[in-house]
Amino acid sequence: MTADASILIPSDSVDFDALREDFPIFNSGSETLHYLDSAASSQKPSCVIDAVAQCYRSQYAPVHRGLYPLAESASVAYEKARQTLANFINAASADEIIFTRSATEAINLVASGWAGPALKAGDEIWVSQMEHHSNYLPWQRVCRNRGASLRVIPLDSSGQLDLDKAAGLFANSTRLIAITHVSNVLGIVNPVEKIIHLAAQKSIPVLIDAAQSVGHMPVDVQALKCDFLVASAHKMCGPGGIGLLYGKKQRLAQTEPLLLGGGMVDLVQSETSLWSEIPARFEAGSPNLAGALGFAVAADYIQGIGRQAIEKRERELAAIAFEVLSEIGGVGIYGPENSEYRSGILSFHIDGIHPHDIAQIAGEHGVAIRAGHHCCQPLMQHLNTSSTARASFSFYNNEEDIAALVMAIQQTKKVLGG
Amino acid sequence: MDSVYKTVLLDHFHNPRNKGDLDTMDRVRRGSNPRCGDEIEVGIKANNEVLESVRFRGRGCSICLASASIMSECTKGLTLLQARQLVQQMMKWFGDTKGETPSNTTLAALGAVRQHPARKKCVLLAWMALDETLTSK
Repeated sequence: MTADASILIPSDSVDFDALREDFPIFNSGSETLHYLDSAASSQKPSCVIDAVAQCYRSQYAPVHRGLYPLAESASVAYEKARQTLANFINAASADEIIFTRSATEAINLVASGWAGPALKAGDEIWVSQMEHHSNYLPWQRVCRNRGASLRVIPLDSSGQLDLDKAAGLFANSTRLIAITHVSNVLGIVNPVEKIIHLAAQKSIPVLIDAAQSVGHMPVDVQALKCDFLVASAHKMCGPGGIGLLYGKKQRLAQTEPLLLGGGMVDLVQSETSLWSEIPARFEAGSPNLAGALGFAVAADYIQGIGRQAIEKRERELAAIAFEVLSEIGGVGIYGPENSEYRSGILSFHIDGIHPHDIAQIAGEHGVAIRAGHHCCQPLMQHLNTSSTARASFSFYNNEEDIAALVMAIQQTKKVLGG
Repeated sequence: MDSVYKTVLLDHFHNPRNKGDLDTMDRVRRGSNPRCGDEIEVGIKANNEVLESVRFRGRGCSICLASASIMSECTKGLTLLQARQLVQQMMKWFGDTKGETPSNTTLAALGAVRQHPARKKCVLLAWMALDETLTSK
């Protein structure tokens, strides 16, 4: 390894190297896996894997559908998971937590079920130029369908929100501001508290896309005072196929269900039907029991480590990577230099080398990074590129991963450099 | 050597053949892959149904550019019909594991990419643009 590996990470009360043992994938292969793609999907600790397996081995039955003991306990466990997730983001009530397939589905539910029915010509919905397609396309479509306008908060040269140039953001015509907490490309942490505070003065609801934040830093929906918040389990050590929508009670009451079917209706007649109470109203189809249980265990696991410690650790890793990568000739890093505005995500380029080539060669050296537009084409247009290479850090990463990344970049330059 | 970046591919990436100006070409078509931002323009010049020159320009990853360069070399001198058949063979070779490996050894070097499904489009982009030049009016 290079000398870079010797950089010491300030000690913390949490033994992060020991936590690495919780993740079987890091001990499963003959070669070391340097996994720097946690912003796409995080690895899973044994407790989550076991919870999912245990569910299918001994707890599994349909949720809210059976009257025998196993089905009753399955239903209780599912609702207990909902309460755990409510506690995780400090929702006032478990009824404000809707299980969805993903953060994506949660946003689509708000766009179709809450925004769509009330939106009219002249109304505006605001997003930002750094949004993931999942927090962009649903708003683009609902605005087009309803004759409303989609407005975009521009970014400054460092990639941060340029609120001064977002004229009309808090105007009377604004019906919703939908914004990401943390950029999945630049790692920028947005001043969502400030935006929500200013929006509240005009009674403008705000949706926070917390997919990249909720597992990495403290998130408290009551302190934030956001109207909606979406999250995804698989990005925070949980299983795939499950996410959540948080909605303030009054907002969920204004929301039409996205999916209609079993489990969300009380009375069905030939002409009209009566929806069930919230949250069941928004969870048509057989609930994902194993997913919900795994999600809750992941939340407890992260809570057990402490999100302040996780945030500190991931920021430190990214700051070290920023410094080390900056010193490599031909490497440029996107986003602000000041680490205060950054989380554990780092996008970069190597002059004259396509990001896909970087990711491929890095992969052949056991370093898993992402390359592409990261489902953020509007942001790529702002950065004037078609793709970036991205290293994203989780608390289970360490200095050796950074050293391996540096080596992979040097190898890429050696193979493909002019 | 990193497996995908075999000597032949690297040679064509570092020293691309027939790359640049397309002004003298009879027909030019563009292929693009917005997902990765790759964009290749391919031009052909034919004389008596025989490809006298195949050239390209554009931007893309190393595999995309190497494939375009290899293509420009391997198709020169083919009849238009033979070129179309070669395009079909390349599509089949990359789309289907039973596809026949090209007899041309330079072309066969592209086979290193077949085990990386996500990169197949990079290889085929120039070939699809060539197909356009051969089939469109």
